[in-house]
Amino acid sequence: MPYLGSEDVVKELKKALCNPHIQADRLRYRNVIQRVIRHMTQGLDMSSVFMEMVKASATVDIVQKKLVYLYMCTYAPLKPDLALLAINTLCKDCSDPNPMVRGLALRSMCSLRMPGVQEYIQQPILNGLRDKASYVRRVAVLGCAKMHNLHGDSEVDGALVNELYSLLRDQDPIVVVNCLRSLEEILKQEGGVVINKPIAHHLLNRMSKLDQWGQAEVLNFLLRYQPRSEEELFDILNLLDSFLKSSSPGVVMGATKLFLILAKKFPHVQTDVLVRVKGPLLAACSSESRELCFAALCHVRQILHSLPGHFSSHYKKFFCSYSEPHYIKLQKVEVLCELVNDENVQQVLEELRGYCTDVSADFAQAAIFAIGGIARTYTDQCVQILTELLGLRQEHITTVVVQTFRDLVWLCPQCIEAVCHALPGCEENIQDSEGKQALIWLLGVHGERIPNAPYILEDFVENVKSETFPAVKMELLTALLRLFLSRPAECQDMLGRLLYYCIEEEKDMAVRDRGLFYYRLLLVGIDEVKRILCSPKSDPSLGLLEDPAERPVNSWASDFNTLVPVYGKARWATISKCVGAEHGGSELSHAAPFTISGHLISEENKERVQETPDSEAFMLVPNCQLTAEYFEKTWLSLEVAHQQVLPWQGEVHPDTLQMALQVVNIQTIAMSRAGSQPWKAYLSAQDDTGCLFLTELLLEPENSAMQISVKQTEAKTEKLNSFMSVLETVIGTIGDIKS
Amino acid sequence: MVVMKMIHSLFLINCSGDIFLEKHWKSVVSQSVCDYFFEAQEKAADVENVPPVISTPHHYLISIYRDKLFFVSVIQTEVPPLFVIEFLHRVADTFQDYFGECSEAAIKDNVVIVYELLEEMLDNGFPLATESNILKELIKPPTILRSVVNSITGSSNVGDTLPTGQLSNIPWRRAGVKYTNNEAYFDVVEEIDAIIDKSGSTVFAEIQGVIDACIKLSGMPDLSLSFMNPRLLDDVSFHPCIRFKRWESERVLSFIPPDGNFRLISYRVSSQNLVAIPVYVKHSISFKENSSCGRFDITIGPKQNMGKTIEGITVTVHMPKVVLNMNLTPTQGSYTFDPVTKVLTWDVGKITPQKLPSLKGLVNLQSGAPKPEENPSLNIQFKIQQLAISGLKVNRLDMYGEKYKPFKGVKYVTKAGKFQVRT
Repeated sequence: MPYLGSEDVVKELKKALCNPHIQADRLRYRNVIQRVIRHMTQGLDMSSVFMEMVKASATVDIVQKKLVYLYMCTYAPLKPDLALLAINTLCKDCSDPNPMVRGLALRSMCSLRMPGVQEYIQQPILNGLRDKASYVRRVAVLGCAKMHNLHGDSEVDGALVNELYSLLRDQDPIVVVNCLRSLEEILKQEGGVVINKPIAHHLLNRMSKLDQWGQAEVLNFLLRYQPRSEEELFDILNLLDSFLKSSSPGVVMGATKLFLILAKKFPHVQTDVLVRVKGPLLAACSSESRELCFAALCHVRQILHSLPGHFSSHYKKFFCSYSEPHYIKLQKVEVLCELVNDENVQQVLEELRGYCTDVSADFAQAAIFAIGGIARTYTDQCVQILTELLGLRQEHITTVVVQTFRDLVWLCPQCIEAVCHALPGCEENIQDSEGKQALIWLLGVHGERIPNAPYILEDFVENVKSETFPAVKMELLTALLRLFLSRPAECQDMLGRLLYYCIEEEKDMAVRDRGLFYYRLLLVGIDEVKRILCSPKSDPSLGLLEDPAERPVNSWASDFNTLVPVYGKARWATISKCVGAEHGGSELSHAAPFTISGHLISEENKERVQETPDSEAFMLVPNCQLTAEYFEKTWLSLEVAHQQVLPWQGEVHPDTLQMALQVVNIQTIAMSRAGSQPWKAYLSAQDDTGCLFLTELLLEPENSAMQISVKQTEAKTEKLNSFMSVLETVIGTIGDIKS
Repeated sequence: MVVMKMIHSLFLINCSGDIFLEKHWKSVVSQSVCDYFFEAQEKAADVENVPPVISTPHHYLISIYRDKLFFVSVIQTEVPPLFVIEFLHRVADTFQDYFGECSEAAIKDNVVIVYELLEEMLDNGFPLATESNILKELIKPPTILRSVVNSITGSSNVGDTLPTGQLSNIPWRRAGVKYTNNEAYFDVVEEIDAIIDKSGSTVFAEIQGVIDACIKLSGMPDLSLSFMNPRLLDDVSFHPCIRFKRWESERVLSFIPPDGNFRLISYRVSSQNLVAIPVYVKHSISFKENSSCGRFDITIGPKQNMGKTIEGITVTVHMPKVVLNMNLTPTQGSYTFDPVTKVLTWDVGKITPQKLPSLKGLVNLQSGAPKPEENPSLNIQFKIQQLAISGLKVNRLDMYGEKYKPFKGVKYVTKAGKFQVRT
């Protein structure tokens, strides 16, 4: 909140902090410091009083100490030279007799985000790990992770890691959880903390002593433990049983996920668990916290994908109360749409019918679309409700109903008659592009059953000049031509006018081209037009494609209790991809080089990509960030799988090449500078099956060819060929641009 | 599996969009990240409708809305969403607990304590101390008296010794608790969520109940609480202190309680025939076609109230947009109509069965506008003392492990939750 005169404030505070009279008066001194903090928290830049604040840290007043520590942690990165002065005081405080002071000082020291502080904090942290006060040990354990981050994540201190593993047996539960968190960060290059059998069982036995946050996190860590035998598996599940009834929804969800993952080979156990959490989940859906309701509803939808009948008897739980926020209402409508069955369809439709006239147009439209969704199964009832809605003559309702009709007749041809009957009159209440398109499409495709279809279309043709949406004009052209085929006498004249307008007067090129195209098509002869335009009018089989049959629980179990259900899978994949790409080499991507790519692009998505015939079966995953060390180790341990020479002229522009490779998800590990001789580059890529491709590019001086050597972690010729073709394309393209 | 790095930063934002507090546990994230939040807020029109999870190119924003404030957390990696939402609510609860209210003014007045709390509640982005009684030993809450004393003596509001609870083997209870009066109070609070349709029949009804406890007992008491009719309870969630196996086998709540206030269990009663609806509303709301007025008439009466008085009744109605003003006469209580938000509030008070409260009169509509499609829903608040509407009754409370004789008390109250009558 920067405001005028902020410089004056800083100046005044600086003067006050230096004033010996104020310094002598403990209370006034602290008040000045509080004002500094207050301004800092409001986003004002207070870094220029750093020196004065450091001086203020030498005090016995613990509140003042806390305040100064807070200040130092905020501004230390800006004033690293001065911050080192403060470290002396902090070091001293780390051996204070009061454990509270020791803990505070240690925590603040570890939070000073600046280079060079490592050497000072190492000893206090090691002392802290053995402190008799658990408060200090908690701080010290997390301090290890902070120290590791300061070291630039490079080497892992084996002794420290061992000490942390042994502290997993600490009697203080929070120390135990902090150890897991800390190890996870320190060992992220190696895939995080290892949960072996003794550790897993130790954690399971400590579970009941942890607070809810600790429980939720331990449940998450336990996901990576694989029980050795069926017996062990069921022992674990028995131990975890009571957490399905925890008062914390976070713990319930964590426990559910662990159950689902551990019991992945026992579908009946999975179903049983989902039955058991039904209660807690429904409770969360009507929790006081609207945000919890929302997240819980998203998970209910996920479960419904596999067990469509799961919540059917509780359908009333998902009726909307008018005071609920929008995002909850929209989720509830979706849930209602999914849990309909023969018994509740009547009540659900009645309820949804009520929402269609809601004051909020968005919500009303969502309800109409939901009825449209239910119409695929319960066509007659829904079409009747939708038809009644048209009678209200409300613009925002009519347009969505017509769109719903369009989608519906394609899937359920049995309702064509009813829809055609309802359509006349709608044109008066539709103004938006989507609605007009839908109406015109329906009139074109099913016009032979609607007596006044040509006359409705004629109105559109009359007003085509003032029509603002090109998409509507395109739709109109197609529809009119279609209708002309079945009712030539009524349409011929206006088709002529429309084509004339589109070809002679229309400014939108796409519309004009479409007009010309139809004109030429008509010149070829009416049979040809029929052959091209008269495609099938419905295709019920498409419905199967759109709502795939019940998905197995295992297809989403790993996404349970993550953000995926909140976003929907497809969106989540794009978001994550975007985050990964923009982060480049920063925190996120090297957090877990191998695991992250596997997680973000979920199993299912990969399959989908492979299935689509027009995309290649071969896919490189983004964000495969190898460290140079790992690359070198792997490179030296492998044989060359393929060698090839490509033509190349002149020098290489490393930036261009790197960028081009990035596009196809090939990462550059190292590259010679432009112009160096010989020029070399090392590249790595990983495909969706986890196979790594390591590549060396070599450009010898006075040799107009690029030598490529590829090594592969798994010998798969087919994949290798695909990879080579990707690489060749890139290098070929870059080569072409240059020459 | 991805590293859980929980909460990176927290921003507190008021309804007019000012960021009035920020806290970063790892590196500093620029305030500009909140622009994505403001964008969503703008799109949502009404502040209540801002979605709780928003993605930005580099972060995810998970937010909660409490008491007209947004708690916006910045997350960098995959997290369990319910966990974060729960934690944010815990932060808000703690402020409420410390300052009596969770408002911008209270937070700004106590900004230093707020920072101390946030510092203790999270370290490196991970939740640490969140139990109210343990936090209160680390950081003393402000009281008027204490702040006066502090300002005179300059003494601190920080515990000088380490909280004893940190050393106890039971994480939710501190060791060495001592009271001169040993007391254990239980509040059984039930809220009725219901949707009643036009004709007065129940579309949906459910009871959400909680038992809140206030335990001031010395030493390490081991309590057993039993009910007359435990099978009433459908879905029960338990405080971690409760021995789950004992409940499963005997339907008795057996536990070593935390010290002070805490929520013992929460439960639901949802089989519809068990949910009594204590009030009914007679209503007639009509808008005439092509006329600038309408009629409004509602009467409230008791129904299935088990002979107890229904009090604290308030009726809130969001009138349609075309309503300009309302001229009403209440037989009791007072009403207000806000012509801007179109909200009618009628503060009824309690029902006396001899003379049922009613509110009737004329509604002025915008002339020329089409009559509203739908009649508004009525939102009703009420309270019934000394009654758990589900019929739940505590049978007895026994204490083991300590010698003294504690004072025990149970209170019942029933309230309206989301209680909605369609007209």
